[in-house]
Amino acid sequence: MSSLKPSQPPPPKILGNIRRQLTAATCTLLTCTSHASGLIASGDNWKIDSALLLYAERDRVLLAEGVLHLSKEIDDDEYINTRIVTDVLTGSSPNGAVPSNTPQTFTNPSGNSTYTEPANKTPLNHTFKDFRNAVNVEWGAPLTRDLRGTLGGNISREYDYLSTGISASLSQDLNQHNTTLSLGGSWNEDISNPVGGVPVGFTVMPSAPAIKALSGSDANKTIKELLLGFTQVINRRSLLQLNYSRGQGDGYLTDPYKIISVLSNDGSGNLRTINPYIYENRPRQRIYNSVYLKSVYQFNTPLLHENVLNMSYRYFWDDWGVQSDTVDMRLRFDLEGGHYLQPHFRYYQQGAADFYRQTLIDGEEITLDYASADYRLGRFTTKTIGLKYGYEFFNGAEINFRVEFINQNGKDRRQDAVGLLRNQKLFPDNEALLLQGGLSLDSDMIIEYVARIYHKLF
Amino acid sequence: MTTLEQRTHYFVGHFNAMASHCEVLIDTYNKNLAQQITDVVAHEVTRIEHKYSRYRDSSLLQRINRGGTVQVDSETAQLLDYANQLFQLSEGRFDITSGVLRRAWHFDGSSNIPSKNDVKALLPFIGWDKVMWNTHAPQIKLAKGMEIDFGGIGKEYAADRAAYSVLALLTSQSSIVTDNTAQNTSVLINLGGDLSVTGPRTNGEGWQVGIGATLPPQKGAQTGPPPVGTLHPSSPPSFTVTHGGIATSGDAHRFLEKDGVRYSHVIDPRTGWPVVGAPASVTVHADTCTDAGMLSTLALLHGPDAEDFLQAQDVPFWCLK
Repeated sequence: MSSLKPSQPPPPKILGNIRRQLTAATCTLLTCTSHASGLIASGDNWKIDSALLLYAERDRVLLAEGVLHLSKEIDDDEYINTRIVTDVLTGSSPNGAVPSNTPQTFTNPSGNSTYTEPANKTPLNHTFKDFRNAVNVEWGAPLTRDLRGTLGGNISREYDYLSTGISASLSQDLNQHNTTLSLGGSWNEDISNPVGGVPVGFTVMPSAPAIKALSGSDANKTIKELLLGFTQVINRRSLLQLNYSRGQGDGYLTDPYKIISVLSNDGSGNLRTINPYIYENRPRQRIYNSVYLKSVYQFNTPLLHENVLNMSYRYFWDDWGVQSDTVDMRLRFDLEGGHYLQPHFRYYQQGAADFYRQTLIDGEEITLDYASADYRLGRFTTKTIGLKYGYEFFNGAEINFRVEFINQNGKDRRQDAVGLLRNQKLFPDNEALLLQGGLSLDSDMIIEYVARIYHKLF
Repeated sequence: MTTLEQRTHYFVGHFNAMASHCEVLIDTYNKNLAQQITDVVAHEVTRIEHKYSRYRDSSLLQRINRGGTVQVDSETAQLLDYANQLFQLSEGRFDITSGVLRRAWHFDGSSNIPSKNDVKALLPFIGWDKVMWNTHAPQIKLAKGMEIDFGGIGKEYAADRAAYSVLALLTSQSSIVTDNTAQNTSVLINLGGDLSVTGPRTNGEGWQVGIGATLPPQKGAQTGPPPVGTLHPSSPPSFTVTHGGIATSGDAHRFLEKDGVRYSHVIDPRTGWPVVGAPASVTVHADTCTDAGMLSTLALLHGPDAEDFLQAQDVPFWCLK
C-alpha cells in the first residue's frame, strides 16, 4: 500500500529557473549601466578583531587592555557590532600637588593611611589601581534606500565608577551616495563612588586618620551629546568628512582624588603650615563643542603607488576656557605579499581652563568659585609618533603590531610659581610607550582551524 | 591580423584570438563594410583578451592576482559584480576563484588523479566569498595564494561585446555607407564555438549553425529552415539563429579516467573535484552568448542532472552524452 502513496519529493539538488535573474545580471554587464550589490563581506560569519594593548608611562601608570570586537552582518547592510574592553591599570598618578624641596606627606583617599613623596619630584598617588570592564553594542540597519539608522548601548564598570549610555544616529545618502548627512545623539549617566566618599570642594585634605568633609558617598553626572556630520566623496580617490558635535555635562564633574597645594602668603613658595592641601572644585556644568575635519586620499603615483593617506584636524572648545587642536596623520604603505606599514603622527595642543591653578595662595580658596590643579586641564602639548605593521594571511585574517611613543610637555603658570617654586617644574611632564598586538579573523576560520586540529588528533 | 573571404551571399572575416579561430559572418555584399566590421570585432576581442588574460603579466587580471588592493575600472567592476551575482545565483557553483584547482588537476586523458590531500590543500584558496570586493570604491583585494580568472565568461562576454561594437559601428556609419540597409546588416560572431548574432539577416532568416557532433535535438530545440550559411556544414544537427547567442561548454577530449570513472574537466569549486556523470558537452541558445555560456557551464556542474537543469531554464539546448 505504502508504495502507492505519492512519495515525498527529494530535496532539490538542482537550481530552479534562474534564467530571468541571469538575463538581468547579463544585461547590466553588457550595457554597463548600474552597479549592483555592495561590499562583499563574509556571509553569516562573525568578524572578530582582537587586540592586546600595553601602555606604560615613565614611572607612572601602567595599563594593560584587551579589546574584543565582534561584528556580524545580519542582512543586507544590517549589522551588529559588539565591543568588549577589559582594562587593568596600576601605578601612580599625579595627585595635583606641586613638587617641593622637602618630602611631602599626603593622606590616602580612604583617610586611613598616609604616603610620603620625595623632594623635588611630582607628588604621585600610588594607590592608583583599577579594573575596568566595558561593553558597547551597536545595531545598524537601512531604513529606506538612502537612509540608515543605528542604535547603541554601552556600559562600563570600574570599582569606583559606573557609566551607562545609549546612542542613536540617522544618516541620509544624497547625490548617488556621494554625499552623506548624519545626525546622532547620545546620553550617558555616570555614577562615581570614590574611595573615602565624595569630598566637598575646597575643603582640606585631613591628616590620617581623620574624617573629611563629604557631600555624600556617591555623585552623578549626565553627559548629552549631539553630532552633525557631512561626508562627501570628492572623487574615486578622495573623501572629505566634516563633523560638528556639541555636548553638555551636568553634575559632579570634579575629580574626587585631586588636590591643590596652598602656599603661605609670604611669597616664599613654601606650603602654608596648617592644612596645606585642599580638594579641587570644578563647575557643575560643562558645555563643549568640537569641529572635526577628515580627509582620506588614495595616491596614484609611481612613488606612492595606491597608498592611502588619512589626515584629520579637530578643534575643541568649551565654556571652561579649554581649547585644543589635534592634527592626526596616517599613511598606509601596502608592501608586496600582504604586508603593510603605517606610520602615524599626532600633535595635540591644549590651552588651560580658566580655573586651572597649579597652586593657590592661603586664603584665595575663599575668594574663588572654582580651581583645579589637574594637569589634564592645563596648558600642554602631546606629540605621538608611531608605526604599525600588519600582515594579511590567506582568506583575509590579519595580524598587526603597533608601537607608539608619546611625549607630553606642559607649560607652567608663571603666577603660580612663587618663590622657591621657580626652581621646580610644576607641570608633570610625561613620556609613554604604547605597544599593541592585534588579530582579526572570521569565525569560519576558527571553526576550520579547530576542525583541522581535530582531524589531526583523531 | 584579419583576413576576409567572400562567400555567395556574405563575407567571412577570420582572425585568431583567445586561443581560438574566430569568424565573423557578415550579411553584406559591401566588402569595405565587411572589412570594417571584421576589424572592429577583432579589435574588441583582442582588447578584452589583453585586459583579462591569465597569460599576460601586464594584464589587469594578473595585477589583481599579484595581490594587494587594486583599483579597477568600471568594465572590470561590472565583470566582478557579475561574477558576484552569478556566485550567489549558482549557490557557489560558478566561482571565478576556482582556477587555483588547475594546480592539482591536469586533464590530459590519463589516469593521474590528484590525491585527496592535494585537492584539500587548495580549498582554502578558493571561494569568491573570501575576496574583498568593494564595488563602490571600486577596489578588489585577493588574499595571498588566491587568484581569479574570467575563463568561464571571457569568450562569451567578448562575443557579446563585439556584437555591441558592430551595432555601434553600423549605427554611426549608416549615413556614410551608401547602402542604407547597412544599419540592419546581420553579423554573426563566432569565437571558437561561442556565438553572438546582431539580428536577423536581410532575407528575414537567420544563420544556420551546426554543432560539431551528431546527436538528436532535445526537447525545446528549434529546427530551422534549410542552411543559408553554416559553420560546420558537415556536422548536423544544425539550427537557425536570428538573434542572441549560442555557447557550448564541455570538451570531449579533456578528461581523466581511473577505475572506470570518467572525470570531466568541469570542477565543482565547492568540493575541488570534477563533476561525474555530466554530458560530454552542452550547447545552449539564449538571449546573449554570455547567458548561453553561463547556462551551459552551470548545466555541466549539475552532472547527471544537467538536462533537468536546462529544462527548468526553458531554453533550447543540446547535450552530447
